[in-house]
Amino acid sequence: MLDRVLTEYRGSVKLVFKDFPLPGHALARPAHEAARCAGAAGKYWEYHDRLFQAQPNFERADLLRYASDLGIPVGAFAQCLDGGRFRSLVEADVEQGRRLGVSGTPTFFINGVRLEGAAPFEAFKQVIEMVLPEGGKR
Amino acid sequence: MRGLTRWLWLALLTGSLLGLAPASAQITETEVRLTLDPAMVKGSPTAPVIIVEFSDYQ
Repeated sequence: MLDRVLTEYRGSVKLVFKDFPLPGHALARPAHEAARCAGAAGKYWEYHDRLFQAQPNFERADLLRYASDLGIPVGAFAQCLDGGRFRSLVEADVEQGRRLGVSGTPTFFINGVRLEGAAPFEAFKQVIEMVLPEGGKR
Repeated sequence: MRGLTRWLWLALLTGSLLGLAPASAQITETEVRLTLDPAMVKGSPTAPVIIVEFSDYQ
């Protein structure tokens, strides 16, 4: 759905993904760290998409296999994941979300306007049209 | 993390921007400094609209 937003508002909209693994999801946090490890290998969005397709299969062996499938060198990836290279950055995202009052996912902020839950395209369109400068509206 | 960490100031005007709040409602403004990893950004770098998504893979 967000791909449709980015396509229909190409050049006008960019998406920033922030990690917000929920406390009750024990396997989510390593998955978020793994995605950042994939990002360090230049494959962030490919891995991100793979995780959403594969949920909730996020055991360590799964995370390594997804990396291998995407051509990411598994040795370095495992070292990154096991060493917790991005643990603090995932936690920083969670803390920033908490300060914004995020308690469930997904939660979106569109130029600061909050949109909660799996909203339809039309909901995004309404907010984007409101915040887009004149001339950029569809 | 690739590249430099960038910073974004996010101003959140609860309810008021959508015109959803009644005239007498209190407007709450929260400002939080967000770290941005360039690897986790998709779309035109110069886009005037920024969607920040907080999400959970599980």
